[in-house]
Amino acid sequence: MSNNQKKRNFQIEAFKPKEVVDPKYAEKTWKILENAIHEIYNHIAGGLNLEELYHNAGGLNFEELYRNAYNMVLHKFGEKLYSGLVSTMTLHLKEISKSIEAAQGGLFLEELNRKWTDHNKALQMIRDILMYMDRTFIPSNHKTPVHELGLNLWRDNIIHSSKIQMRLLNTLLELILIERTGEVINRGLMRNIIKMLMDLGPSVYQEDFEKPFLEVSADFYRVESQKFIESCDCGDYLKKAERRLNEEIERVSHYLDAKSEAKITNVVEKEMIANHMLRLVHMENSGLVNMLLDDKYEDLGRMYNLFRRVPNGLSTIRDVMTSHIRDTGKQLVTDPERLKDPVEFVQCLLDEKDKYDKIISLAFNNDKTFQNALNSSFEFFINLNSRSPEFISLFVDDKLRKGLKGVSEEDVEIVLDKVMMLFRYLQEKDVFEKYYKQHLAKRLLSGKTVSDDAERSLIVKLKTECGYQFTSKLEGMFTDMKTSQDTMQGFYTSHGAELGDGPTLAVQVLTTGSWPTQPSVTCNLPAEMSALCEKFRSYYLGTHTGRRLSWQTNMGTADLKATFGKGQKHELNVSTYQMCVLMLFNNAERLSYKEIEQATEIPSPDLKRCLQSLACVKGKNVLRKEPMSKDIGEDDVFLVNDKFTSKFYKVKIGTVVAQKESEPEKQETRQRVEEDRKPQIEAAIVRIMKSRRVLDHNNIIAEVTKQLQSRFLANPGEIKKRIESLIERDFLERDNADRRLYRYLA
Amino acid sequence: MKKEDTVKLISAEGFEFVIDKKAAMVSQTIRNMLTSPGSFAETEHGEVTFPEISTTILEKICQYFYWSLQYASGKETEFHIEPELTLELMMAANYLHT
Repeated sequence: MSNNQKKRNFQIEAFKPKEVVDPKYAEKTWKILENAIHEIYNHIAGGLNLEELYHNAGGLNFEELYRNAYNMVLHKFGEKLYSGLVSTMTLHLKEISKSIEAAQGGLFLEELNRKWTDHNKALQMIRDILMYMDRTFIPSNHKTPVHELGLNLWRDNIIHSSKIQMRLLNTLLELILIERTGEVINRGLMRNIIKMLMDLGPSVYQEDFEKPFLEVSADFYRVESQKFIESCDCGDYLKKAERRLNEEIERVSHYLDAKSEAKITNVVEKEMIANHMLRLVHMENSGLVNMLLDDKYEDLGRMYNLFRRVPNGLSTIRDVMTSHIRDTGKQLVTDPERLKDPVEFVQCLLDEKDKYDKIISLAFNNDKTFQNALNSSFEFFINLNSRSPEFISLFVDDKLRKGLKGVSEEDVEIVLDKVMMLFRYLQEKDVFEKYYKQHLAKRLLSGKTVSDDAERSLIVKLKTECGYQFTSKLEGMFTDMKTSQDTMQGFYTSHGAELGDGPTLAVQVLTTGSWPTQPSVTCNLPAEMSALCEKFRSYYLGTHTGRRLSWQTNMGTADLKATFGKGQKHELNVSTYQMCVLMLFNNAERLSYKEIEQATEIPSPDLKRCLQSLACVKGKNVLRKEPMSKDIGEDDVFLVNDKFTSKFYKVKIGTVVAQKESEPEKQETRQRVEEDRKPQIEAAIVRIMKSRRVLDHNNIIAEVTKQLQSRFLANPGEIKKRIESLIERDFLERDNADRRLYRYLA
Repeated sequence: MKKEDTVKLISAEGFEFVIDKKAAMVSQTIRNMLTSPGSFAETEHGEVTFPEISTTILEKICQYFYWSLQYASGKETEFHIEPELTLELMMAANYLHT
């Protein structure tokens, strides 16, 4: 049969049913159908089922109704059938509307919901009966299909009826308000009514409910947020805002259109957060700064999650955090109290960094932009203090000398990684290198370094950070240490026999340039020692031709065996200078400052320092001084302290170490750094000009600065001076036409 | 066969055809009659009277229902229709929305 369907229309027209002869046919048939529609409505309203009706009133026979409708359409009475349907249904809906209007108070929504369910049922039955019309007449005449027609009529006669429209809206909004104040409402009923509005089409839902709902909500939250902000602290306010937000989301999921979620949350976000953002952040005693100070991870996390919902929310938090970190950091690095102890100072920085790292990871979702803000803040304030590089190096020195004793390897790595992180913030990395070299040299030469592995690991880290050039000299220092060991072994195997019981010597041969050596005035070594040194010199020069060996007496150490007045024996661990001084007392009871200076030729500041540590430090005062005072004067006289006692056999007499550099030393280091920068700047200029040939002044400055950034921040004035110097030496020339242009001369 | 799974189709002359509901529902019209929420008489009693369809045609229709159920999924078989029945059968098909 299906293969014949295509021709159906033609077949039907060819067929003339017999009923068509009755002129009242249409009227009669419509009456039957109209009746049926009435009955359907009445029935459903009466709560009866159709079977009862069937028994009571002759019943509704689907086939009969269908056949009648079918025949009406077939006999070209489709229009009559359709308009009849519209007017009959309208009639019923007007009735229904009245009954809904009559419902009192709380029953209103219930009645509306019940009638809606009824109407839907009736509508479906009517559609089933009129299916043939729906299938043929309606599409070809461009009418609204039965089901949609039923919904439209419902909308026009019920929802948009003057007595229902506003009442419905107000009832719904009222219920939501009640729910917002914390009472329970019938959510099932709400869901049904809202569902009805959505079934009637998105425009009905939006116009008749959603729009006013959003407006009322905005008013509600505007008032509420004002109340909260006057009475709550920041943390509580955010808690309340968060709860409101979640309530609205929950409301949407229970009985609103899912598409409303974004809109209503937007309203809450705007009214409760965006409008009060600055006030919240800066709230006294409880705002963002206080949260940061007190590590309130939960509150901070809440703030982050709420603020990220609104435009500029996160940048507001970030800006406040940045300026707070900068301020506290600035205080930290400029506080003269802090500057007294470099180790403490760096530890403070690390603690600060840890604190914010933790906040960002716990509360700020590890947000990259926050991490960047943190980094730039640290970079900002660390470089405010020109001594930061020195202090960081001192911190490492402290850790590598003693701090890492008994600490596991992983922990060492963690500390070193943290230091590297601070190092990265430094703009003047070359200053750090200078100090690091000095400190490393001291560590190596005095054998104070705790862990070779840790030392090397740090150098590897520096190398990955700044490249080979940065660490080549540092590595050279390690190599020298190793070679010296071998040399000493060689020296003692060849000379061991002839040296006998005399003093032993350990020499570290340092490559000039790799080490931060100062051209030092050699002091006069005791006779025993200088003889030994001479032997070593001839041994060394014998094996290595063409080298020069000079003694750095200011950097060595010595172990002395000493017997005091009552026969108590001690081993004294002293510096080379101190040894020279003490050895003098083998041949003399008392010596004046002048005599000592003459005999040893130690530079005066060093001598003073070394005498101070020999005579003035309690518990280690192997010498006695006349007059007794804290400082060394030119006229002082020194004697061996026969009453010297110590619990320990070995006594270590440190020079009064200049942990931090004194002001003139600092200036000196600074000057050396500046000197070292000159060739680097020149090299950078030449490199750039070689590839660019011609470049104007501003661009050179920019490029040079960029190239040197990883080591230090080049001063434009200095760059200009270097350019002048290169011009003088015929590496560059100024362009004849444009004086701002430079040309490379090769 | 359970009574709930069958439906009785009655022709103009009063002949009764008892067939599977599943087969009868090949017709969209019969499907609506049997499933409409309002529970019409047809739904309650499980029988449908067609005063305008003759026995011969209704028989042919029932045959078609079963044929359709079996072969509608595209198997190449012919459903034989006697030429003299064509017109009336066509009418009924339109009516039954088959």
